[in-house]
Amino acid sequence: MFTQIRVCSAYPFVIFGFSVPLSGVPQEEKEMKRDHQDAGGGGRGDWYAVAEQEKGKASMGTDDGVDELLAALGYKVRSSDMADVAQKLEQLEMAMESSAAANDDVLFAHPAFDSVHYNPSDISAWVDNILSELNAPPPLPQQPPPPPAASLRHQFDLSPAGTEQYSIGTVDHYSPADVYELKPQSSTASLRDRKRLKVCSAFPSSSTPTDVAAQQVVVVDSQEAGIRLVHALMACAEAVQKDNLKAAGAIVKQISVLAASQGGAMRKVAGYFAEALAHRIYRPQSPRGVSCSSTHESTAFDDMLHQHFYESCPYLKFGHFTANQAILEAFAGCRRVHVVDFGMRQGLQWPALLQALALRPGGPPSFRLTGIGPPQPDNSDSLQEVGWKLAQLAETIRVDFRYRGFVATSLADLEPYLLLGAETDGRGVEDDEPEVVAVNSVFELHRLLARSGALEKVLGTILAVRPRIVTVVEQEANHNGRTFLDRFTEALHYYSTMFDSLEGSTSPPSSPEARRHGQAMSEMYLGRQIYNVVACEGAERTERHEALAQWRARMCRAGFESVPIGSNAFKQASMLLALFDGGEGFRVEENDGCLSLGWHTRPLIATSAWRAAGDPLRTSASS
Amino acid sequence: MAPPADDVRGLFRQELRIQLLERRPKGKEAACFASLCFPNSISDSCRYCSVSAHDGGKQRGERQRVEGMDVPSPSSPWIWDKILEFVEFLRCPVLPVLAMLRFGCVASDLGGFILISMVVPLHTWVLISNFKLAYNMVRRPDGTFDRHLAEFLDRKVPANASPVNGVVSFDILINRASNLLARIYRPAPPNSSHPATPLAGLHHPPSPDQFPVIIFYHGGSFAHSSSNTAIYDSLCRRFVSLCGAVVISVDYRRSPEYRYPCAYDDGWEALKWASTEPWLHSGKDSKLRVFLCGDSSGGNIAHHVAVRAAESGIDVSGNILLNPMFGGNRRTDSEVRLDGKYFVTIQDRDWYWKAYLPEGADRDHPACNPFGPNGGTLKELPFTRSLVIVAGLDLVQDWQLAYVEGLKKAGKDVKLVYREQATIGFYLLPNTDHFYEVMEEIKNFVSSNL
Repeated sequence: MFTQIRVCSAYPFVIFGFSVPLSGVPQEEKEMKRDHQDAGGGGRGDWYAVAEQEKGKASMGTDDGVDELLAALGYKVRSSDMADVAQKLEQLEMAMESSAAANDDVLFAHPAFDSVHYNPSDISAWVDNILSELNAPPPLPQQPPPPPAASLRHQFDLSPAGTEQYSIGTVDHYSPADVYELKPQSSTASLRDRKRLKVCSAFPSSSTPTDVAAQQVVVVDSQEAGIRLVHALMACAEAVQKDNLKAAGAIVKQISVLAASQGGAMRKVAGYFAEALAHRIYRPQSPRGVSCSSTHESTAFDDMLHQHFYESCPYLKFGHFTANQAILEAFAGCRRVHVVDFGMRQGLQWPALLQALALRPGGPPSFRLTGIGPPQPDNSDSLQEVGWKLAQLAETIRVDFRYRGFVATSLADLEPYLLLGAETDGRGVEDDEPEVVAVNSVFELHRLLARSGALEKVLGTILAVRPRIVTVVEQEANHNGRTFLDRFTEALHYYSTMFDSLEGSTSPPSSPEARRHGQAMSEMYLGRQIYNVVACEGAERTERHEALAQWRARMCRAGFESVPIGSNAFKQASMLLALFDGGEGFRVEENDGCLSLGWHTRPLIATSAWRAAGDPLRTSASS
Repeated sequence: MAPPADDVRGLFRQELRIQLLERRPKGKEAACFASLCFPNSISDSCRYCSVSAHDGGKQRGERQRVEGMDVPSPSSPWIWDKILEFVEFLRCPVLPVLAMLRFGCVASDLGGFILISMVVPLHTWVLISNFKLAYNMVRRPDGTFDRHLAEFLDRKVPANASPVNGVVSFDILINRASNLLARIYRPAPPNSSHPATPLAGLHHPPSPDQFPVIIFYHGGSFAHSSSNTAIYDSLCRRFVSLCGAVVISVDYRRSPEYRYPCAYDDGWEALKWASTEPWLHSGKDSKLRVFLCGDSSGGNIAHHVAVRAAESGIDVSGNILLNPMFGGNRRTDSEVRLDGKYFVTIQDRDWYWKAYLPEGADRDHPACNPFGPNGGTLKELPFTRSLVIVAGLDLVQDWQLAYVEGLKKAGKDVKLVYREQATIGFYLLPNTDHFYEVMEEIKNFVSSNL
């Protein structure tokens, strides 16, 4: 297929380790053959005893009637539905047989086999979905049209610097001043002055059941020096955990020597971890925990690093793309739509959605975007600038677009009435069509875990704006474990894999220099996260990444239910990866309706979609 | 409640076998036989009629099978009347019974009542039918394959270095140039519950004594599944517990994107890799005690890798082939007899061979038919001993039996385990005697050839 350019062939052996997905823990099975289970009776050996033990655990883990035998193999079927599922499978099979008998091609031409699939772990719902399409009379126009290749390409072109291209060819009958509401609301001024986060010395009492399971592995090269390096990092972290700073200090010095002998990703990762450890060891301790230097000077720099991370590897693009796809599907058929973006930054996510909406069959809806971002150190209004650029693009492609920017120190400061806001320009008053809301958060929610109650507050706010869909992109790792050593270990595995993927992939349009530069900046972007996880404590430790299973538990507790992301988004996300070095090392996976992107088999970021529990998938247009 | 008898008959296409029960059940006791309809779902109570199954369980032990009593004819109205009568008697929802009728059901005469049970347990039927459905959707008649949808539908499990039932797993890139991954399963190293140590022990031998290394090639007819597919993750974990082994599950390249001989090359690469890893060597002689194992296409790969090993002088302790995928140009008796029954059709088999074999090759290619007209001989090679598991309801069985004959003719040591009533995939779920007895065979084969 594609020629592979591998930079780090110097160390061929890398291990990727994983934490346990909590919902699917441990692979239980229910043993039916009691007559085989006389564990005491000798001869049968240990593995029957293991089976017996598994069975014991299964009976503890009440899983609302989900059949354990199939659950162990990745499928969720309620025991009481088993026979029903069998019958439906049979119906489908017969339908396929008969259509195959009629004509070999009919089967494959049938819309049901081009249809979008959702959540295949849930065999019952999956089969229902296909059956209903099979029985649907004439093929309906396919739902959200796959964004044509052109729009995919555009997504990559649309760095803020590249938006000029859309300012040409303005359309006469739109006057931006009439159409777009670009000024931040007056209320933002008061938000801006609100108190900053309080330092909270205690850990948030939010340790979820997840701490139980996860035990992770490391990315190692199997050469002796690499293994010693990882051991030294672990030993240092352990000394820190035991408050033996003298020993830790001695080890951290060795680490830099060991790291120098390494090549590629491992050396870089070890460097960032060692630096963070050193900060932790040598910084004067305060009872409130280690203080960190993340001040406002760095915001612009952060944005720059973010931009490079966006450009040089597929993670953020994957997050944006899958979230957009879910939003697009949720907006199908709606004439007035509103996206609330919890982390506007440079607005990189929205050109692609604007384009997809513009190409929608039946014409684009009226699109309102509310962008939220932190205060800028120089009091500049970057949110407004981003809004202008998006407005220009919207005008060019003729999407009715309005924009508001909100400056908020913390998402927890937001109130529902601010987000929904009254229509200030009088537009829409005569419009009976209700506005359909989507809330989007990319790498934002985990920061809220640093302040107790903040996440709950924000999830309450989300529910109050009654969104049709909530899209969440988060790092797929638990960097919020109870002990320092847990966090350190998981982070070491996670970032080693991340760094390895940066070595192994090339972004689409890149000269070698641009590539190296982009990679170095991306590493720095990740390095800041490493620093925060390892060196910071208390409210300043904001990179509190948690795994999908933990988010699922939090969202469900707060009254949300999952909206499965379908095979359509999966396919397109997979094709997107082909732009990165043939996509060989990257893999998209579907897990319980969520999509994750990983390097080889290690999932690294995950997109999930949610709605208020109990809401029908598509409420009728009338309120 | 009961559908019209005609519909019922339409569903019922399998041959019926009758089992007689020695005594007629009475009252509540009889109702418990509903749970016997679903031999794998016998628990404390029948799931379909909420009646305690304890008595039924006892009955089960006493049940006597009378072979060879064929129903007058599958379409006989008599049998259907009896079935409907039975369903009514149980006051069970009729659907479960209909669902299971589809598949190799066994009807028993209770002296007035018909008891139906299945050759294929309901769980297995659901699992494999679900695969069949998914596979039918991703395979296109023109020989192309919807890989994205296949990956979407495939259920995967991440590696997990925390011990689950004493087994840990991790993924390793054994060849960065070819991106060849393998998932390694091993008994948990001591102290592995300490967060900082799992890594430390991963590359140490699990035992000071000799232990087996099993290189596992997953099934999926060369086109489906991978080393992180949930069904194979589960099976490999079993092998660790069963044999005290380190299991290396190879993520070989799949067809139709990668045809012959890519899968064999990757399989061979994994064996060579294992032979250079010091921690996989064991015993006083510090030897790699390696078994090659696989189901379906994986069994085929195991054979071909073992041939290369024999040619190259790498010692393999044994081959374990579960329902291995072989074939040939001519149609065998079992292919004709079982076509379209028990999940598999000849048409599917042909598609997979066409997708895997070199362009233009036919099924007498030695990859497919190793002892056929184009096959070589193993007579001169130090080819290892084999354990071959054959399911009597698998249409490929004649080719598997021919393979066993071929090995015998070449003077090789081979043990055939033939399970007459087993179907493809029986080894994925611990819900039949076939499962337990075959696992026991594998365990014995490994321990006696270590």
